[in-house]
Parts: sequence; C-alpha cells; structure tokens
Amino acid sequence: MSHNITTIRPRLVTKDKSLADVSNEICRPIENKPSTTWKIGFTLAVIFFGLLAFTLALTTLVGIGTWGLNKSVQWGWDITNFVWWIGIGHAGTLISAILLLFRQKWRMSINRSAEAMTIFAVLCAALFPLFHMGRVWVGAYWVFPLPNAFGSLWVNFNSPLLWDVFAVSTYFSVSLVFWYLGLIPDIATIRDRATTKGRKFWYNFFSMGWTGSTRTWNRYEVVSLILAGISTPLVLSVHTIVSFDFATSVVPGWHTTIFPPYFVAGAIFSGFGMVCTLLIIARKVLNYEDYITIGHLEAMAKVLMLTGTLVGLAYITEFFVAAYSGVEYEQYAFLNRATGPYWWAYWSMMTCNLVAPQFFWMKWARTTPWFIFFLSIVVNVGMWFERFVIIVTSLHREYLPSGWALYSPTWVEIGIYLGTFGMFFTFFFLFAKFLPVINMAEIKTILKDSE
Amino acid sequence: MAHGHKIELKQEFFSGNKKATKFSLILIVLGLLLTIIGIATAPKTHPSNEGASSEEHHHVAADNNTPRLNYYGDHQVNHPLPPPIPEDAGAHKPWYSRVYANILTNSYFFVLVSCLALFFWALQYIANAGWTTVFKRVIESVVAFLPIASIILILILIIGKSDLYHWAHYEHEALKPGEPGYDKILSGKSWFLNSSFFIGGIIIIPLVWFLIGKKLSSLSVREDAEGGLTPFKKSIRWSAAFTVFFIFSISVLSWLVIMSVDAHWYSTIFSVYNFATGFVAALCAITLIVLYLKSIGHLNLVTDEHIHDLGKFIFAFSIFWGYIWISQFLLIWYAHIPEEVYYYQVRLMDQWKPYFYINIVINFVIPFFVLMTRDAKRNPKLLGWIAVILLFGHWIDVYLMVMPGTIGSLAQFGMLEIGMLLLFTGTFIYLTLLSLTKRALVPINHPYLEESAHHDVGV
Repeated sequence: MSHNITTIRPRLVTKDKSLADVSNEICRPIENKPSTTWKIGFTLAVIFFGLLAFTLALTTLVGIGTWGLNKSVQWGWDITNFVWWIGIGHAGTLISAILLLFRQKWRMSINRSAEAMTIFAVLCAALFPLFHMGRVWVGAYWVFPLPNAFGSLWVNFNSPLLWDVFAVSTYFSVSLVFWYLGLIPDIATIRDRATTKGRKFWYNFFSMGWTGSTRTWNRYEVVSLILAGISTPLVLSVHTIVSFDFATSVVPGWHTTIFPPYFVAGAIFSGFGMVCTLLIIARKVLNYEDYITIGHLEAMAKVLMLTGTLVGLAYITEFFVAAYSGVEYEQYAFLNRATGPYWWAYWSMMTCNLVAPQFFWMKWARTTPWFIFFLSIVVNVGMWFERFVIIVTSLHREYLPSGWALYSPTWVEIGIYLGTFGMFFTFFFLFAKFLPVINMAEIKTILKDSE
Repeated sequence: MAHGHKIELKQEFFSGNKKATKFSLILIVLGLLLTIIGIATAPKTHPSNEGASSEEHHHVAADNNTPRLNYYGDHQVNHPLPPPIPEDAGAHKPWYSRVYANILTNSYFFVLVSCLALFFWALQYIANAGWTTVFKRVIESVVAFLPIASIILILILIIGKSDLYHWAHYEHEALKPGEPGYDKILSGKSWFLNSSFFIGGIIIIPLVWFLIGKKLSSLSVREDAEGGLTPFKKSIRWSAAFTVFFIFSISVLSWLVIMSVDAHWYSTIFSVYNFATGFVAALCAITLIVLYLKSIGHLNLVTDEHIHDLGKFIFAFSIFWGYIWISQFLLIWYAHIPEEVYYYQVRLMDQWKPYFYINIVINFVIPFFVLMTRDAKRNPKLLGWIAVILLFGHWIDVYLMVMPGTIGSLAQFGMLEIGMLLLFTGTFIYLTLLSLTKRALVPINHPYLEESAHHDVGV
C-alpha cells in the first residue's frame, strides 16, 4: 500500500481510535442486550414479514388471479419489485469488488452491511418470479434443466429468463460466500471475547477454527482475491441479463440496445441509494459516526450524483433515439410514457432520478446527513418508478389497440411488496444484532489512513 | 516494494528527441507519398459499372427522366421498411468519396483519442485520483492533437458531406411525398439530420472541448509557476463541468457524425460504444508515450506500478468495450428487426466480413488473454505492443463504422488507406512530442505528486 499519502486528503476514521476501541465499539451491540429501538424496529419488521407470509399463502392457495395482472399487462408490480430488489442487491458486491479494484479504501466501513443488504435484497427479489410462475411447488425446480422424468418440460436455453435463473442464483451464492468469508475473522474476534457459554459455542462453530495465524490470513487473502475477481463480472452480468429479459423482445420501449449498461448504472444508483438509507440510520443509532464519517457520506453522494446523471443520460438517449428512429411504435411508446395514463410515473422517475441527485453539486447537500437520507429515499422511490415505467407503460398499450388495457395492483400485490420490506428488515435487524456491522479486521488496517 | 524511503522529486524537461522526430517525419512523408500514389492509382470508374464514368452516373442520378434509386435501390415510393439486403451505398458515388471517407475515418478516430484523453485528465480530478500525477503531462500532450484533428473533421464534413452521407445528398432536393425517390424515414429525421444542425454541432462541440481543455492546461501551467492549491481546486471544478458536458456532447457528436452514416439505422448504445472505442484508444496512446519516454530515460518517477495500473486500465476497458460490443450485437441479432439487423447483415457479408472478425479479435480477444496475467501488464515491451495493436484495432473499428455506409463497395484497403493512417499517425506523434517540449515533464507543484511517486499497490 502506498505509504505516502497527501495530507490534503481527509482521514478515513475520525478521532484517534485504538485497535481496542474498534473491537469494543463494534462488538457492543452483539455483547449487550438489544436496545429498545432495536426491539421496536424488529417487532415492526416481523409484523410485515407476517404480512408477506399471509399474502404469499393467499397467492398460492387462490392463484395469481388475486393479483391485478391482465392479458396485456402480464408483468406488473411483481416484476417491477423483482428488478427493484435485484438492483438494490448490486451495491454490496459493487462496493466490495469494484471499489476494491479502484482501491477506494472508504469502502471498508460500509462493505459489510452493504453485502448483507445485497444478500437479503436478492432473497426478496427471487420471491417475485418464483411466485409469479403460479404453481410454486413445481416452479422451484421447473426452472432448472432437469431430466423429463421430473415431469416437466426441458427448459428453453434461448430464453434470457433462464439465463436470469443462472445469473441470479450464481450471484447469490458467490455473494453469500464472499460475505461469510469476510465475516470469519470477525466472528473469531467475538468468539475470543465471548463471556457467555452460548456465545462461545456458536461463534466458535461459525468461525470455522480460525486461528489468526499467518497461514490462515494468507489463505483468507488468496480466497478473497479470487472471489473478488469472480464477483466483478458477476455483478455486471446479473443486471445485464435482467435487462436482456426486456431488450431481447420486440416490444417498443423494451427493445433498446442501451439497456445493459443503463440497467447496471441504474442498479448501482439504487443500490447506493439503499446503502445510504440504511447506513445513515445505523451510524446514528449504533453511534458509528467516527467510522462511517461525513467523508463516506459525501463519497456516496457523489456516486449517487454520477450514476443518477448516467441514468438520466440513458433516459434522454432512449427518448432521442425513439424520436430519431422513425419507427412510429417506438415513438408512440415514449410519447405514451410521458403523456399517457401513466405520465405521473414517468415524471416521478425523471424528477427523482435525474433532477434530484443534482442537488449533490452543492457541498452542503453532500455533507448533511438528513438531506442525503431524504434524497436516498427519493432515489429509492424514483428507481421503483423507473421499473414500473419500463414494464407497465410498454405493455399496457401494445401494437393492436384492441389489446390496450390499464393495470392497477390489488391489495395482495401491495401486501407482498410491503411484506418483502418486513423480510428484508427482519434479516437486517438480526444481522445488526448478531454480527458486526463494520468489518473490524479491515478497518483496523486503515485507522491512521487517509482516503 | 518502493516505499519507506524518500524519493527525490526532481523536475525533468523533454527537449525533443531527434530519432523520434525523424520517425514521425518519415511517417508523414511516407504517408503522404502513399496517399498520393493511392489517389493516383485509385480506380476512377466504379467497380460495379466498368466503362461508365462516375461523372455520368452522377448526372444520370440527377436526371429527372430516370427514377432515382433510394438508398436501398427501392423504386417503391413510401416504403416504410428497408428490404432485407440493402443495396451498396457506394453504387453511385464518385471515386473521390473514398478519399473523403478515409479523411473522415482518421480525423474522427484521432478526435476520439484526444478528446477521451482530455476526459481521462478531467476524470483524475473529479475522482481525486493521485497515481497518474507523475505522468499527467503525457495525458495533457495527447490532447494537443484535438484542435487539428477537429478542424480536419469539420472541413471534411463540410466539403464532403453530400458525398459521404446519404441523407445529406438528398437533403437539398426537399423531396415531397409522392415524388419518386421520396424517403419517408429520412424526411422524418430531418429535424435532426439537417445541414445547419450538423455543421453547428460539429463546430460547437469540439470547440467547447478545446476551450475547457485550454483552461485546464492554463491551470496546469499556473500550478507549475505559482504552486498553492488554487489551480488544483479550480481544476476540479472545470473538470466536473467538462465531464458533464462531455458525456452528453460526445453522444450527440457520435450520432451526428457516425450513426448518421447509416441514416436509416439507429441504436441507443451507439454513443456508449464510441466512447468505449475512444477510451481504450486514448489509454493506449497515453501508455505508449509513457513507455517511450521511460525508454529514453525520462519520467524517472514512473515505476512499474504505474505501468501495471495503465495495463489494468487497458485490460479492464477492453473488456468494457467487448461488453458494449456484445450488448449491441446480441440484442440486434436476437430481436432480428429488419430496420436494425441490416447494419450487421452488411458487415457480416462480402468484403466486410474479415473486418468484422478482426475487430472483435484484436479489440477483445487479444487484450483479454494476453493482459490477464500480472507479468504481462508489467512488461513494457509486451504492453507496448498490445497498445499498438489495440490502437490499430480501434482504428479498424472506426473504419468499419464509417466505410460500409458511406462508400460501400468503393472502399478498399490499399495504399490510400495505409498512407492516410500513417500521415495522421505521424502528425499525431509529431505534435504530441512537440507539446511535451513546451512544459516541464513533472507537475512539480501538484499536491498528489509525492503520493503518486510512491505509488505502490502491493500486489
């Protein structure tokens, strides 16, 4: 590592923390009884998780008819939510793998929670296509190329929907392994500090015999590097293939070549949006303001501004090329987005994703936590609308006007969506209680470092 | 490991190198000779119409008695869709349009190289990157060709536009619906594809780049003279402004100059594709000059670590280029919509087929496999050769974007093409080296210089 860092760069960890401070402060939530805030939050999350169970049970028992989909709009909130959650699931790997490649050391205090977020978000996302298949009890293996003896048809390898199954499941497994691997040294730290029998046993079990010797560290670093190398193409492939779900079709508004990089940029944008939402609360509640500093928030705000503008560039490019193409269906699809019955979704998308991040040009906006928090919510909302615009407004008016229809979700669909928040936060609260939110082993290496 | 000890930050000057100047002059002279021979020996009659002179053809085409063929050789009026196999774009073009198309290819390629070097320069400021500081002057020198390449581009587009661009050729005739030769698609695009917008765009966009580049350059000079953090902080602001303007304007420029070559065709990723092509080429040019200066004993602060990182950049962005390439190709191939697919249909047939494969092999396969190992990226000789090959590969890429739609079967790969490429390359080298002599090689007052000199990634 470069040992000569310019003095004008800000420190990565503010206040002079000792190694012991790091262990003490980051292990505090794990070694103490849960706070009232945690209890309230967790209860709320579990209630919504229950709502998810209920609405999914209803969908399974009664059928997809409980949703508001119709013959024209066959993909509605379900796929919108799927793409939205998958997009959020990009930030974790992006932060750990791509920011690692660019040697952005500020990633070290946020990568752990971002990776956890990735895993939970991908789980939420996977629910939607799974239940949309209808008979979920066969859907679970229908998607895999299994012999016909299982009673199903051979999968269609030409379909990007199948590629999606492989891309998402591979991404999930690698992210999970990567995240767990990074946790091992920290789990061992907790084991070594453990005062109760239960904690000693479980953290010992999950630390997989970590000794902290040079040999274990050496292996740990080799495996980390390999996994980072694998994750980088994976994180790009997932949203690329999600974009192929749409772009390989001949539906106006879907078939557009910019989709792959534009979806990836959008995923980074929404992933960072969610990271900001979660971490601005976490740093306050857990008192981690010296680890997740204003400098971190500013860097994330800059990433939001950059990716928001890139996404905006893609919107404008699409709009321009549709007008330029001379294909009337293409032109109508975009005109209909902006002025049709779903105009509010289009303009919400434009405002939230292209206009709102421009506030970050101001230093004040980039360094004021509550304002970043507010804008991160705006970004989450805007990215949800983006997927809604792409999916619903392209489908609801197809080539034949006789097939035109409108779509609105039923309470079951809304319930499932809200329920996934319950699931997401239930897992996140459990994570924050039982595992260190910040990577102690890594942060200890940069205590005196600057950006 | 280079850290731990003190590195003396010494100023260096490059006062020119006789051998290099000679080399660039030889390239210029050789290029000029080949170009002249190429022009003199170029077939003045059309290959598909031996015997009839192109002048006559021109008159026939303008003759009212003969129904004019549109781009696709389609006599039917108001046909909304192109037929599966488009007709040769060069069928009725005069012989000298081959010269124009070559100037367009080269000037556009070098505009891309130099404007993306400027983008890379600005990127270092907005990303707060330190490692490039020791060879910052090299990045600056690559931008030196921008004004000249832009002027050549602007001139050739003004002079040759109706010979190069199908849409421009018929523009002045103001065809109305019902007239033979009326093209519904092109008439629907005339709000964007019209001469005033075209010429306005190709002048204003490079001009703004040039002016911001000049501003950044003057801040760089000021920093050398005065020191302090003011020029650095101002550079960050100008870089941010440039980057925002740049990502939008390079899109418009690529649509105006290159996408409109195939005026009926469209692809939303096209601007990103042009960006990727130019960025890899710019990185290769920067790397080559860094390696060259090091080989003659300059840039002592540049270590293997910097070279390694440049190699990583070339490797990564070659993959990025491949990603964008496959995104465009796969989606168009898969959907198989006639309006879109003909772009690749032309390029996968006859004379273009080899270029199509050379393009993907040179620009993706070779750097992907060769630069994968750490040793390859730290080997100056190997990296240098890869950079040369990639520069040629991305030139081929631009050639393949320009030629089929402008002059079709009139295009060849002969002395004219090689000569013109040598001529431009020679001029580029000459001007870059000249601009390197104009200021110190080390940005001695740059706040990240010390950090950059100690740059060491540890892996």
